[in-house]
Amino acid sequence: MDVSAATIAAAATTETGLRLLGAGLAAGLGVIGPGVGMGVLFGSSIESIARQPELRGEIRLNMFIGIGIIEALALYALVVALILLFVVK
Amino acid sequence: MKLLKRIPLWAWPIIALALLVGLFLLPGGNKATFDVSGEFLLHPLIRLPKIGPVDLSITKPVVYLWITVLVVCLFAAFVNRGLKTKPGRLQVAMEGLYELARDGIAGAVMKAGADTWFPYIGGAFFFILVCNLVGLIPLPFGVGHQLAFYAATGNINVTITLAVCTFVFTHYAGVRAKGPFGYIRSWVIPAPPVLKQFIFVSDVISELFRLVSLSVRLFANMIAGHFILAVFFAMVLVFQSYLIGVVLQVGSVAVFLFEIFVAAIQAFIFAILSAVYIGTALEEEH
Repeated sequence: MDVSAATIAAAATTETGLRLLGAGLAAGLGVIGPGVGMGVLFGSSIESIARQPELRGEIRLNMFIGIGIIEALALYALVVALILLFVVK
Repeated sequence: MKLLKRIPLWAWPIIALALLVGLFLLPGGNKATFDVSGEFLLHPLIRLPKIGPVDLSITKPVVYLWITVLVVCLFAAFVNRGLKTKPGRLQVAMEGLYELARDGIAGAVMKAGADTWFPYIGGAFFFILVCNLVGLIPLPFGVGHQLAFYAATGNINVTITLAVCTFVFTHYAGVRAKGPFGYIRSWVIPAPPVLKQFIFVSDVISELFRLVSLSVRLFANMIAGHFILAVFFAMVLVFQSYLIGVVLQVGSVAVFLFEIFVAAIQAFIFAILSAVYIGTALEEEH
């Protein structure tokens, strides 16, 4: 799909507008939860490193696992937005 | 260099300001339209016949998978040839990665089958790592033989295949360790009657969802990364100013470094989640 202004103006129906709105809302609101989750994850991992600095390596390993899983949730929202933009006609 | 040392300290902000104003005032290039979806269309490179519903023609992801296999095999052979007891830097780095895969991923998570399943988990880790990193090298497979970025794992088919491999190995490991009925019985958790059936159904659904989550996690991370890279690189064309071009250049480098980090993390996550799934299928009763 060509997202330049000319083609968007040419295909400006309500359906296209609602589709784009849905994509924007999905990508935007869908990142709130994972964002909060990431904050909690990093906060507690930094706190536990400060409490026991000798476990730094293990905590870092588990932190990376947490990052990967939470980032996947944020990217599910992005995939929904991409489906709305590029797959739904 | 000597000339740079002779410029006094108070003159540097003036020079920087002059450069910035000059870049801002220079007339920019042509505005170009920006089409992102061209990366996702797959034109066959070599047409081969279809067998039934399966189209065998060679497309871009196929070539990139072959390149990955070549890189992994040749690099491993090269490192293996030069093994010494007093290792050089390359051998130390590769040994570090190998130990990460063996002890950090398979050993830390799987208690029972770490030695049996380490080949698959280490192989998945290195394969996905090289696949993601090769996707960050511009190769001439773009439209009309232009240089283009493309990651083989940025195709949902490739990541679904990898997730299906993990899925099949999980259940194969469970059935081989406990027998078919013993394996299904290990999913039933002692609980009050109605809750037990509900928990069983919910466990089955979450097992099936692991296919989706493993594949979509890897796919979406690669696609989103390439999207952001494409946006950053193309914004230089869209804005009509050299000043923003310079700022965007620095931003592009930062995003590119982050993409390398994400590539390594996603390979690690896939490997360690596969290890967790196979480990929980192998372990004894709750």
